[in-house]
Amino acid sequence: METIEYMGKTFSVDEDGFIDDFNNWCPEWEQWVKTVEGIEEINDEHRKLVTVLRDYYEKNGIAPMVRILSKVTGFKLKHIYELYPSGPGKGACKMAGLPKPTGCV
Amino acid sequence: MAFISSGYNPKKPMENRITDIGPRKYDEFYPPVIAKNKGKWLYHEILEPGILVHVGESGDKVYTIRVGGCRFMSVTHLREINEIADKYCDGYLRFTTRNNIEFMTDKEENVKPMKEDLLSRKFAGGSYKFPIGGTGAGVTNIVHTQGWIHCHTPATDASGTVKATMDVLFDQFTDMKLPAKLRVSMACCLNMCGAVHCSDIAILGYHRKPPMIDHEYIDKMCEIPLAIAACPTAAIKPTKIEIEGKELKTVSVKEEKCMFCGNCYTMCPSMPLADDVGDGIVLMAGGKISNRRDAPKFSKVVVAFIPNEQPRWPTMTATIKRMIEAYSKDANKYERLGQWAERIGWERFFEKCELEFTHHLIDDFRDPAYYTWRQTTNFKF
Ligand code: HEM
Ligand code: HEM
Ligand code: SF4
Ligand code: SF4
Repeated sequence: METIEYMGKTFSVDEDGFIDDFNNWCPEWEQWVKTVEGIEEINDEHRKLVTVLRDYYEKNGIAPMVRILSKVTGFKLKHIYELYPSGPGKGACKMAGLPKPTGCV
Repeated sequence: MAFISSGYNPKKPMENRITDIGPRKYDEFYPPVIAKNKGKWLYHEILEPGILVHVGESGDKVYTIRVGGCRFMSVTHLREINEIADKYCDGYLRFTTRNNIEFMTDKEENVKPMKEDLLSRKFAGGSYKFPIGGTGAGVTNIVHTQGWIHCHTPATDASGTVKATMDVLFDQFTDMKLPAKLRVSMACCLNMCGAVHCSDIAILGYHRKPPMIDHEYIDKMCEIPLAIAACPTAAIKPTKIEIEGKELKTVSVKEEKCMFCGNCYTMCPSMPLADDVGDGIVLMAGGKISNRRDAPKFSKVVVAFIPNEQPRWPTMTATIKRMIEAYSKDANKYERLGQWAERIGWERFFEKCELEFTHHLIDDFRDPAYYTWRQTTNFKF
């Protein structure tokens, strides 16, 4: 695993830049992901997505389906892409500290 | 090589970004004779194996030479294909749905020199670069997958098994002497990317051991409910384990219920199952996709296991050859392999192809398995 030093914190990440453990997430991690995911400034809408993703993961042990994410946040998929140019998986889940999406992606 | 920018600015990734433009429109690449006669073709003939002529209402003719392609190709090879197209076809060419290459020309005088040129081109090792064939009632290219070249879930290799098989069936590629066309396909795991489930003969990568579980990492790497839901036989359940005094979430696999599909590994990197002696090949037969004479069919499992014998898979290629020879000798004209097997009865198919019938071949998956058993006294001794 690679190690990243950022704002005084150390993170272990895989080759795609996903964090090694949901529990090692912290606000500094968000700031780091911002720099690699083409996000200029983290606003309340970015945070809302991260909060929903983290709550859902804690409760259910999985990331929500895209339609659930849209429904709960009220953000259409198009808007999610405006917030996270890499999309809900590679962008938002990475920032929220969720495990890397699997399957035939 | 030092970094050379394409003009993309990583500081402003969304600036000057072009998106949703789709593929180039197909008619930009039509040879003029195809553009002119589009939708107005009268008839076609297969002049010889690999060479077709289509005749339009206008009297225009287009000659097509089909050559085998290995699908996994270098840019050097693509450039050589372009060079040939420039020389004989005004720069036009196309690829078929089975990854053969077709060179088209409206100049009859180009056909013979192009044919001679194509057959004269060989790799340093001796293989034909552009073998002509793949038409009519023969064996055309093998639709195949990634294998050990690029995928992480394979139980066998794609390019290797395919080269070994095409070498053995080469005479069928360059000729048209079978009762009907015979499609061979290959997939390196039972995700079945491609056409194995609907081909006359199919090569399929198969595991024989349950997944290993990386308890230490599974809860960090995986969404555990997804791994559980991935299992078609419900062999996986959530559980807890103690490692170095810490209680961790993990799963347990009931091995008697696992049939090694590998779906759980697809969803969860902490459940790998590839194994050098466990993994190998299943052969299936009798599928087709056309509606000609009878409805499309799924291919059926006819050989439960053949070991991986890289680099040439001799047992597998010999078994395929035996099936094709039996079919070729026995089937009626126009009869696809599956139509033949159903007409003579599968018990005869196993006899004529000298295949062993084992209990593995009897369907045992849920209610529909029942319909694959024989509820009649009609059978042959
Ligand atoms: C009136 C127009 C056409 C008709 C009725 C027609 C009919 C057919 C039929 C019935 C087959 C199946 C033969 C077999 O596999 O046994 C066939 C095969 C084929 N046709 Fe046409 N065709 C027409 C135009 C075209 C055109 C314009 C092209 C492309 C330039 C084309 C390319 C092919 C190819 C590549 C095959 C497969 C040959 C093989 O794999 O053996 N066809 N055609
Ligand atoms: C008068 C119309 C047609 C005739 C007489 C005809 C005839 C045939 C025949 C004899 C075959 C060989 C089938 C086999 O060996 O199982 C074939 C294959 C095929 N035909 Fe047609 N066909 C016609 C129209 C079409 C059309 C309109 C399409 C596409 C829209 C089509 C697509 C195909 C394809 C994809 C195959 C290859 C199937 C395979 O690989 O198993 N055909 N056709
Ligand atoms: S068939 Fe399976 S192993 Fe082969 S490319 Fe598809 S998913 Fe990967
Ligand atoms: S390999 Fe397939 S059958 Fe076995 S536990 Fe995994 S999902 Fe279930």
